[in-house]
Amino acid sequence: MEKFEGCPGSRMMRFNSRNENDAAPTVGKIKSQLAQWPIQLHLINPAAPYYQRADVLLTADCVAYALGDFHRDYLQGKSIAIACPKLDQGQDIYLEKIKSWIDSAKINTLTVLIMQVPCCGGLLNLAQQAADTAKRKIPIKYVVVGIQGEILQEEWVAA
Amino acid sequence: MEAYLNRGIKEIIEEFPEVEDVLNDYDIGCGPCNVGICLLKDIVAIHRLSEDQEQQLMARIAKAIHPDRDIRVPRVEKKTEAKPKEFKYSPPMKKLVDEHVLIKRWIALIPEVAKDLDLESEESRRLILDGIDMIRSYADKFHHAKEEDILFKYFDENSDILEVMHADHAHARSLVKEMQDALEKRDRKTIAKNLMAYRELLTEHIRKEDEILYPWMDDQLSTHQVGELFSKFDEADQKIGVPTDKYENFINRLENKFENQEG
Repeated sequence: MEKFEGCPGSRMMRFNSRNENDAAPTVGKIKSQLAQWPIQLHLINPAAPYYQRADVLLTADCVAYALGDFHRDYLQGKSIAIACPKLDQGQDIYLEKIKSWIDSAKINTLTVLIMQVPCCGGLLNLAQQAADTAKRKIPIKYVVVGIQGEILQEEWVAA
Repeated sequence: MEAYLNRGIKEIIEEFPEVEDVLNDYDIGCGPCNVGICLLKDIVAIHRLSEDQEQQLMARIAKAIHPDRDIRVPRVEKKTEAKPKEFKYSPPMKKLVDEHVLIKRWIALIPEVAKDLDLESEESRRLILDGIDMIRSYADKFHHAKEEDILFKYFDENSDILEVMHADHAHARSLVKEMQDALEKRDRKTIAKNLMAYRELLTEHIRKEDEILYPWMDDQLSTHQVGELFSKFDEADQKIGVPTDKYENFINRLENKFENQEG
């Protein structure tokens, strides 16, 4: 991996070419596990039926590109919203939407998937802030994904 | 060796006492277990040893069982720094672990309570009644009921490990029942004996749950099931409506009392 200087969130990097054994399997088509639209946090309605009592994924934009098995290992059976804690405007609206998931849609769990870059931690902070001010308590899990798609950490946050 | 994997651990230890020492070396404390019906293979699996450690453990057990055979025990590199095990629990499991804290504080006070017990005094009888109430309402109705009525239903209730947990709960209930009867008869000896037996039973029971059962269960549960359990525990707490403050106050009072006596 070649490294370039700068902010870890936007620093340029080129990963060494993966060998043939690293290539994604090509046997059969990989079926999408996405079961809703829209998915961007500004566009979603937190009261939509597919959020009611659901297990919800709140995913940083970059995660699905880095994590090879995102659909099978994380998206399957869950509802989703995506956001970028670094670039998105109007994050106070995000806070209210997450609170609304917890209190009104009565979601079952919230899993926050973020990249390892420091700015991504903002999405987990946002989820925790919303959970702290919500009336209901729910289990929140966070998963930290490395920039080459490896799972670096997967833990429950104290409810 | 295959046949021993499918035998209950108590039976194996009774036949080959050295196996208990071998298990202790890997922090597998099956020796004091009152039930001991868990199969050797399940015990090895549930303790999540590294592959090397598991091979070494099995070789040492095989050597204890067949001392006449030439069994090579593989060496496992010991970690230079011995750190206490750190367990990370899902929120519903963490709730149960947190509930253990008050029970452990009560257990820690039992030797003082059992010592110099004077059942002729109203104060002493009240203390035992309050202690029994704490065990019945908080430890059993509030805590064990969540395990038996909710958590264990997510697993095979006929599995050895859950049978052991049920047996521990039943044993605790019978000790408490005997204490209640003994109190009516002002039988000091039985109360003191049962209090100490309860302390021993629950100390080991809580250790098994905190260090083995709950981490193993967390590994098996899906994210969805964790969310379900969390809500069900919450509903059960509201339904049971045990005044936890009352029991915290009881323990605080007792701790202060014995602290002042020491001072």
